[in-house]
Amino acid sequence: MAVNIEDVDLKNITLKVAEVVISELKLEDITPDTFDPELDLIDELGIDSMDLTTVALVLQDEYDIVIDEDDYPTLKNIRLIAEYIMKELKDK
Amino acid sequence: METVSSLLDEEWYNRYKNISSLNIRSSIYDVTNQCNLRCKGCFFFSSDEHKAADEEKDIKKWEDFIDKEKERGVNLAILIGGEPTLHLDRVEAFYKRLPTYCATNGLIKVPRDRFPDMMVGISLWGDEEDEKLLRGKDAFAVSSKHYEGDDYTYYLYTLTPNQIGKTERIIKKIQNAGLKVHLQLLSNDEGVDGFSWTEQQLNDIRSEMDSLLDSYPDTVISSKYYHEIITTGKMLGRTFGWQECPSVTEPLDTRNPRPKRLIRFIRWASDLKTMHRCCTSATRDCSTCKDGAAHMSWVMVNKRSHIKTTKDLQNWIEVYEMFAKLYKFIPW
Repeated sequence: MAVNIEDVDLKNITLKVAEVVISELKLEDITPDTFDPELDLIDELGIDSMDLTTVALVLQDEYDIVIDEDDYPTLKNIRLIAEYIMKELKDK
Repeated sequence: METVSSLLDEEWYNRYKNISSLNIRSSIYDVTNQCNLRCKGCFFFSSDEHKAADEEKDIKKWEDFIDKEKERGVNLAILIGGEPTLHLDRVEAFYKRLPTYCATNGLIKVPRDRFPDMMVGISLWGDEEDEKLLRGKDAFAVSSKHYEGDDYTYYLYTLTPNQIGKTERIIKKIQNAGLKVHLQLLSNDEGVDGFSWTEQQLNDIRSEMDSLLDSYPDTVISSKYYHEIITTGKMLGRTFGWQECPSVTEPLDTRNPRPKRLIRFIRWASDLKTMHRCCTSATRDCSTCKDGAAHMSWVMVNKRSHIKTTKDLQNWIEVYEMFAKLYKFIPW
């Protein structure tokens, strides 16, 4: 069965987002592979808008995109962040 | 990696969910430079903040300004002064547009037909003797009659070293008036003799605050973790001060690295243009600041740091609940 290239890209982006979140927020006892992409970053990890800004700045540089501050409230987990990045890359 | 779900049982998780989406964005407004009392230790007058700006007197300009504040994302207006009730038209301009809290000495009654559910916090500086010494009159005698049994009013009781061992009588008086009380500590800005805290006095008052909360849970709106933070100035091994304070006016905040802070917080002077440095006096030494709101906000903005152990997170929840109750985002 052929692998959907978009799925592969989304998976890679999701892993990269997890890596950035772990590294920038200094999360312990977690790796990108074991990071639940559906985990609510705000409710479950206590990540706030300042944390999201930190993560967004790194991801903007990584993918050469702009993450609009008004969109932060919708970026509740790393799957949603990865999908947001995918969309921005496609729209470029 | 700890998560909220992994640390809390169902009861605590439900309490967490009840507050986690509140997203409170407060700012503070000097409604006027005038006051009908002149209290020793009031930072507004001791640091000449009443001279910082000329009061805006055009009510239309107040209304336009508040509309812009609402657009800026503010969802809680905290009115101070001076004495806000000297200008009820300005208070009303806020009340009609935003959830509003009015700090007052209680000498002028907020008319409830005009402000049916506005939160009112009445300042109280101790017993009759201390009130007369620090404020020139026993304001409680007047305010407790004005607001007896009012569901939207509480006393903001500023504890002084002189009050150690004498607080329970005051709490009973407040209880008898059918009102609630929140506790905070005096920052002795004017260096009144006998009113600066020693370490032993801070330990003593912390025990007394804990005891009051245990004995009068339906009257005292507080939390033991808040008592710990405000009396020790320590949180999770960190020390309160300029580099940690969350209540610095955002456009004036040049700290680097920038600490966790209140998003979009500004303290406005009464000309609606001038910004004060922070929620209290710019001349105050941050290392000895005992401001209650700043300390509880310090806990609240550092949520992630409290997602380490069950006790830490429960402490955070209790402080957040306390804040939310004080501004009626959740019931008493």
